[in-house]
Parts: sequence; structure tokens; C-alpha cells
Amino acid sequence: MIRLINVHKIYQQGRNKITALAGLSLDIQKGEFAAVMGPSGSGKSTLLHLIGGLDRPTEGQVLVDGRIISQMVDDEATLFRRTRIGFVFQFFNLLPTLAAVENVMLPLILDGRSGSESNLRAKTLLERVGLEGRRDHLPEELSGGEMQRLAIARALAFNPPILLADEPTGNLDSKNGAAVLELLRQINTEQRCTVVMVTHNQEAAGYGDRIVHLRDGMIEEENPR
Amino acid sequence: MIRLLRFLSWRHLKRHCLRTSLTFLGIVLGVAVIVAIAIVNRTLVSSFQHTIELIAGKAVLQVSNGESGVREEIYPVIRDTPGVKDAAPAVEGFLPVVGFKGERLFVYGVDFLADFSVREHQFVGKPFDLDGALDFIARPDSIALTESLSRRLGLPMGAQIILATSRGARSYTVRALLKEQGTAKVFGGSFALMDLPVAQIAFGKEGKLDILDLTIEEGHNVEEVKSRIQQRLQGAAQVERPRQRGEQVESLLTSFRVGLFFVSLIALFVGFFLIYNTVSVSVVQRRREIGTLRCLGMMRRTILQFVVLEALILSFLASVAGVFCGALLAEGALLSVGQSVSNLFLQIDLAKSTLTLSELLLAFASGLGVSLLAALYPAWEATRVTPLESYRQTAWSPRSQRVFRATVLGVILLLFSPLLLFISPPGLGEVGKFTVGVAAMLVFLLGLSSLSPLFILAWIKLLRQCLSRLPFLSWNEERLACDGLSRSPIRAGITIATLIISLAAIFTIAAFVHSVRGSLLSWVDQMVTADLIVSSGARTAGPMNVPLREDLVPGIKALPGVQVLDLYRLIRSTYKGRPILIESFSARASAGVRTLPMAEGNGTEALQQMAAGEGVIVSESFRSKFGKRPGDTVELPTPSGLARFKVLGVYIDYSSDSGSVLIDRSLYKKIWHDELVDAFDLWLAPGADQEAVIRKIKQDYGDKYQLFVSTHRELRDAVVNIMEQSFVVNYAVEIIAVIVAIFSVINTLLASVLDRTREIGVLRAIGATQGQVRRMVVVEAGWIGFLGGILGLIAGTVMSYHHVVYNTKVLTGWTFQYYYPTGFAFLCLILSVALCLLAGYIPARQAASNPIVGAIGYE
Repeated sequence: MIRLINVHKIYQQGRNKITALAGLSLDIQKGEFAAVMGPSGSGKSTLLHLIGGLDRPTEGQVLVDGRIISQMVDDEATLFRRTRIGFVFQFFNLLPTLAAVENVMLPLILDGRSGSESNLRAKTLLERVGLEGRRDHLPEELSGGEMQRLAIARALAFNPPILLADEPTGNLDSKNGAAVLELLRQINTEQRCTVVMVTHNQEAAGYGDRIVHLRDGMIEEENPR
Repeated sequence: MIRLLRFLSWRHLKRHCLRTSLTFLGIVLGVAVIVAIAIVNRTLVSSFQHTIELIAGKAVLQVSNGESGVREEIYPVIRDTPGVKDAAPAVEGFLPVVGFKGERLFVYGVDFLADFSVREHQFVGKPFDLDGALDFIARPDSIALTESLSRRLGLPMGAQIILATSRGARSYTVRALLKEQGTAKVFGGSFALMDLPVAQIAFGKEGKLDILDLTIEEGHNVEEVKSRIQQRLQGAAQVERPRQRGEQVESLLTSFRVGLFFVSLIALFVGFFLIYNTVSVSVVQRRREIGTLRCLGMMRRTILQFVVLEALILSFLASVAGVFCGALLAEGALLSVGQSVSNLFLQIDLAKSTLTLSELLLAFASGLGVSLLAALYPAWEATRVTPLESYRQTAWSPRSQRVFRATVLGVILLLFSPLLLFISPPGLGEVGKFTVGVAAMLVFLLGLSSLSPLFILAWIKLLRQCLSRLPFLSWNEERLACDGLSRSPIRAGITIATLIISLAAIFTIAAFVHSVRGSLLSWVDQMVTADLIVSSGARTAGPMNVPLREDLVPGIKALPGVQVLDLYRLIRSTYKGRPILIESFSARASAGVRTLPMAEGNGTEALQQMAAGEGVIVSESFRSKFGKRPGDTVELPTPSGLARFKVLGVYIDYSSDSGSVLIDRSLYKKIWHDELVDAFDLWLAPGADQEAVIRKIKQDYGDKYQLFVSTHRELRDAVVNIMEQSFVVNYAVEIIAVIVAIFSVINTLLASVLDRTREIGVLRAIGATQGQVRRMVVVEAGWIGFLGGILGLIAGTVMSYHHVVYNTKVLTGWTFQYYYPTGFAFLCLILSVALCLLAGYIPARQAASNPIVGAIGYE
């Protein structure tokens, strides 16, 4: 489902070169729940960005769902991302001016779906994440856990085969964090959705089928659960 | 897209309601100014055309020669030209009504037996048949008033009306009342008909005609008849279609109208920056949101369309409101502009201002066009936002690369601005050159504004050095403020650029007005050295003035204390089909007391040669418009035919930007057959009692001739008043530009502070008191105001100098001295700092009082 072949990512910061990924190769199978761990600066987030087509590798190839995302032009990558990849962020990144249901509708509207169709789908997804009673609330009126569940609902708008989560519990208490991880696990098993989750938290990583440890832009070790 | 706009834009605009309202109002005001000035400019032109067409009646051709007039002997020659069906001679002009302050009648003197073939005068009551006409003509004090005027002044049939004529106050009897139809509709019904000889006496134009209205025999070609008449006239007058006459009058107002347009352009330019700022700030603030949208699959082009459409919708709504405000503003502006035009150029019968399709289109084209232009760059910037922005937790702070890019752009624009003047295509007219000059100014302004991030960094470096040398004082908040500025020079640069542009625009107008005032007063002091100036109808010679005959000369000359008396005459004429002024005085009579400010040649020598009848002296504008210099010859249309004169010198004259020719009175009288006087210039003997002379003149002639006796100081004040009035619209636009600028600054400062809520929260968390945070934000705003003020003044100084010395020169031919408005410059600086302190205080208070936890978690 996801394949990274000898991927390098080097950032230029002033006169310094910072190597985020140094020849990383990785395969993630369809329906797999992979947790990526590592200290700060190990390249976890960069890995996620490259898989999501948010950034391009300096060298190497990134294949997602059988397509080389690292060679796609911007519009192509955007369209691919819209329907094939769902994102869950640490800080939720919900639009503060939109109600919960509208936040979920947003990707569908971007795709030109009708209002009623988007609304129906959004309601279903809100029910799926247990927020049916909060559909007209603004993000600021929701708790952290609710906001992250809302973000997950938005990520599922197109029923994408891949879900990328960057520290999804990093901003939540343990109870809410556990609920979010349960939800991700549920989506992974019920929809056979491939989940790649970056985390610092060993407990959270335990929800994955496999834990990939990164250090200095390379895989340090891989532990199947 | 509509749904997206509803989802994202509407909510965003609603959330930032204050900033949205400020931007909205800014565009409304900008569009309103553009619309108002377009309406004013069009109404001015159409009013002249309308008046000329109403008076012309059925006339197909008109023979005229400005105020020089046409000799009566020409009338039969023209009438008998093959192809001419009817010819109606007339004299025309304004006469004040004695006893009714400010009331002036447009008196039309016609040949009652010939005029009905060209114009239809409708009389109240019984038809005005031949007997009626003969009865009217037979009594030389007959006058016909319009019905409305008769009602307004309470002057029924048989009543007496006293008019201030060239022979003094004269009484006339109302012998007919006109219906307000056709010609009688001009000047709001302040219209009167007189028999031709009676009117000629009233105007002092005996033996002369102002105009001959002609109709053409059926089957004759107008152009052929016109050329036949032209041959017969031999340069003693011009023959034109009424519309062409209107166009000639219009050309008088070109500079005035271009000047007004320039002022509205400034308002639009400030508005442009307001929109640019708003969209830029909105993009900066929404980078994370845009990043998230990019993550969710929004294409770059959708973002571009989205940002541009958002700006366009807001400007569309603001333009609609701007149109209505503009129409209202035009009503007020027209009153003031109409008065200025009447004082400076010609009496104008202002038509009612209406809003036409062209103004509607202009409003939307300027509102939407400017918004589109202003939004394009920030929208393009928005498309460059990568999806990775969605991961950013702190306020966006542009990289130093952007400061470098802005600096390079600024330097290129600064270097390009003077080049524009040299690379402009040759053969451009006055308006074309002026446009290039204005464009160069605006490019310079943009260039300097682009350098604001660089100036911020340089200023902060300097300031830090200064602060470190004063260790005994606590400068913590000031240091923090410096940090804030140096961390985001682009964001602060936008606010400073707004200040630079607004201040420079305002300062340019103010310095221009100041320079015009200074130059004008200095010119009046050099040109008008007389102790007393006696005139009728108005204090200054011009369209409101009633020329008098020389009858007063012996009496005034004999007054005790009067040492020198000279007679001044000012008429409107044409040269090569374009309007000019002819001025005359006796160079010999005033040789010892008069000076002439010269632009080329020796004034004393030129005056001596002029006194000897060797030629004429032309004004700077004349030289600039017609390229005539000392030694050249000019051919002027006079009632005696075309007359050639040698140019003896070029003098400075601000009477008219269409060009003036100065000629000695004796030569003028001989060739123009005109003995009228616009002003009697009196120089008193040393020690003479000025007040006694004034009293005596008023006592002997005041009532009879409706005289104004002005001292030099009073004349100066009158000139300043006329000038000030002509700048009323400029002042109004300046105020609007200030308001728009205030909106813009508040807008950007508000956004800048809100953007840093999280950062301020962190400061609070690590121990900054509310007072310290407030002080830090306010000090930062103060520095922005100070830096923006200084740079705005630098830009304004360069621009105003260029505008006074170059732009005005190419448009009008006038050379103005540049006078620096020092007081106003200080005021600008103080206002700039005060405004920023005020604009910074409100968000500073808000930011400082935010709960720390909320601020740190701020999204």
C-alpha cells in the first residue's frame, strides 16, 4: 500500500543542511496500522509529509496506493490527497468559524459534491465518531477529545484507504487519547484502512500492528506487535 | 465556489467584523470620491454645452471673437453671405442687480426683428407680435425678465429694475415677461432680454457684437458656407458650430478637471493599499487555515479564485454603497466647484448632477478593478502556502528572503521612477505628460514603501544601539517591542507602507496647495503694486467683474493723494482656436511704479518696448502651450482682423493656465476698439491718507458704479479666498484619504496584534505584567507610526516637489515656487504616531487581558 524506496530528505537552513531522512526504505501493507516513533528530529513528521504528498523527497521514491506520489505535480497530488488520504493533526486544525458538521462537509464541498449529499455524509460520519449531538457546535465549544474525533470524521469524508495521523493524542488527556486511539483502531479494522500514526507515546504506539523506530532519519528498529 | 465562499469567507469576515467594516468603508469612500469627481467633471462640461446649445437655439453656425467682439459692420457682410438664411446679432453678459445682494442677471441683447428666426422666445400673456416688439424697442429702458425671476424679486410688469452697467447703475422697466422655455431656461431663469442697442450701451460694447447666430439655407452645405464666411471675416472673428464653441470653452477647464481627477486618483490609490493590506493580512492570518485546506485537497487555483472572489464580492458591495455616497458627495462638490469655475473661468449654469451609466461603470470598474489588482499578489501568495503550514503552531513569520525580495523590488522601482519621465513617448500632450509624471510619482511611492521592511531592520538596529547606551533606564518593554518588529519586518512593513502611502498622498496635496498659495501671493505682490484697486461687480478682475467706461478717470485722477492712475483690462480671446486671455495696462503711465515678474527677458526693457507699441509680452503658459518665445511673432484675432505682434518677453502670470498676452493699453484700444476698464489701479503719493481716498471714491462713485475699492491687502485676501475655494474639493478628498488611511492602519495593527495572541500569552506566562504587555504593544505601534511618519514625509517631500515643479508645469505651463509646509509636516508626524498609539492601544488592552491559558492555546 505504501512503499518508500531509499528516501532522502535534506532541508537547507541558511548555510546548513539538515538531513531529516537518510536513505529510508519502508513498506506498509494494506490494512496495516503502523506506529512511527522516535525522538524529536528523527524524521517522523517528514516521513508522514512525504507519504501524504505534502512534501517531496530530495532523493528516492514514495509509492502510495500503487502510484508514485513523489513524482506527482501539485494538482495531481492535491486531488489524490483529497480522496485517497485522510489527515489527523495533533492540533486538530479545524476551521474555527465552521460548525462541526460543516468542518466534515468541507472536503466534500471542495470536491464539488452537492450540499445535501455532503450534509448526509457528514451526519453519518459524526454519528460514526459519536458526535451526532454536537453537529452544530463550533470547534471552540468542543472538548479536546471531541475536536480530535471531529478531525477524524473529516479525515474519513471520502472513506480514504489511508489515514495519516500526526501525534493524534499529543494534545489530549489519557482518557480522551485512549478513545481516539480506539476509534482509529476501529476504523483500521472495520474499513481495512491503512493507518500510519506518528507518536511519542509508547502506549499509543501499542495500538499499532507494527512499531517503526526512527533515529537520525533512518529506521533504527521495527517491532511487530 | 459560492458554497465555499459562504462557508469560509462569510464566516471569516463576520468573525473579523471590525476589520471587515473598516475595509468596506474604505472602499466605499474611495469609490464615492471617484464617482463624485466623475459626476462633477461631466456636469461641468455638459453644463457649458447645454448653456451654449440653449442660447444658440436653431443656430447652425456662430460667429464670435471671445470678449474682443465683432465689429457691427461685419453683420451685413455675414448676413449676405450666400447660403446664410438668417443672422441674429447679439451681445451678452452678466449684470449685477442693484439692491439684491448676489443677484446677477444674464442679459442677452438681441435684434428683436431678427432674433425670432433663430430663437423662440415665449412671452407670458398676449403674443409678442410685431407691434409688441416695436413698442418694446421704442422705449430704450425696456427689459424682459423671466416669469420666475420676476416672482422671486417681486418685480411685476411695469416695475423698475436697477442694473450695474458699464455706465453705472441704470434703471430699466419690466415690459415683458418670458416663459422659462428655450433660451430663458439658462442660469436658472436669471435671464433677461434687452434690445440690442440698449444692451450694447449697458455693456459698453457700442458698435460691437458678441455673437452672430446663423441658420443656413436649405440645400447648402454647412462646411461650404462656413468656409465662405471665414474668407469674409479675414481673421476678425471665428465661425464655428455651437458644439465647437462649447468644446473650446471646455478646453479652458482641462487643467482644472485633470487636477480634480488627480485628487480622486490619490483617494483611489490609498484605497488600493487598504484593500491590498486587508487581503494580505487576511492571507497571513489564514495561512494555517489555507494549509489545512491544501491538506484536505484544495487546489492552488481554487485558493486563488477564492481569495480574489472574496475581495471582489466585498468591493462589489462597497462599490454599490460608494455609488450612492458618490452621488450625494457630488451634490455638495458641485456647489463648490461651480463657484470656483465662475470665479476663475466663466459664469457657469450648473446642470443638476445625475448619475449616468458611465459613472456606474466607472464606480464598478474602479472598485472591482482596484480590488482585483490589489488582491492578486496576496492571492498568489496564498497559493504558495504549502500544506505543511497546517502544522505550524506559531504566528507566521516570513523568511528574510522576503525582506530581500521586497528590498530588490523597492530599489528597482525607485530607479525606474525617474526613468519613466525620460522614456515616455515624445509628442505627448500636456495631459499625457502630466499622466506620466503622476505615474512616476506613484512608482516612486511604491518603491519606497517596498523598502519599509529594510528600514525597520535598520531602525531597530540603530535603536538597540541607542538603548544599550542608556543602561540607567529600564527599556525592557521597548526592547521587547524592538524584538517584535525585527521578528516580523514584513508584517510591520505592510502597516508602515500604508502610512507612507497615505501620508505621502496627503502631504503632496498639502504641499501643493501651500506652494500655490505662496507663489500666488508672491506674484500678486510683484504684479499688483498699486495701493488701491477700484473695480465693479467683484473685487478681482475676472468673470464676475463688470467692466466700466473711462468716465471715472478724470474724477479719480483729480482726487487728492492719487499720484498714478493706470487702467487695467482683461478679456477672453482665442489664439489658434484655443482660449487665451488678453491683458492690458498702460506701461507708460505706470512706468515708475509697476513691476512685471519675468520668466524670460528683462522686465523693464520689455515694458518700455511694450509702451512704445513694439510688441506684446506673453505668459509662461502661453509659451508652454504655443511654443512662442521672445523674438517670435504671434497673430491675434482682433475686431480689426488678424494682427501680428512681436513677442518681447515672457512674464509670470497665474491668471489663466490657458495662456495670456499682455499688450499696452493704447495699442489695445486702437486695435480692439475697446475703452472699457476692469480695474483702476491707484498709486498714492507718499503720506497720502488712504482711508480718505477710499471714502471719497465710495462717496462720489460707490453707489452709482457699485464699486469695490480694495487695498493691496484686501486684493491679496480676495485672491487667497478664490484659491482656497478652488481647493475645497481637494481638502474634502484629503480628509477622506486620511479617514481611509486611519482605517487601513487600525486594520493592520489590529490584525498584527491579534496574530500574536499566543506569543503575548507566552510572555504573560513567563512573568510579563498586563501593563508591560500593553506598553510593549503600544510602543511597537508608536515606533511603526514614527517610522511610517518619517518615511511618509520623505516620500511626500519628494513627490510634492515633483508635483509642484514638474507635473504642474507640464499641465499648466506655470512655474510655481516650492514652499515647504513645515508646520503641516510636524503635524503629520505627530498624527502618525498618535494614530498608531491609539490604534495599538485597543488591541494591546485586549491582548494583555486575555486569559493566559486561552492565549497559549489560541488557534
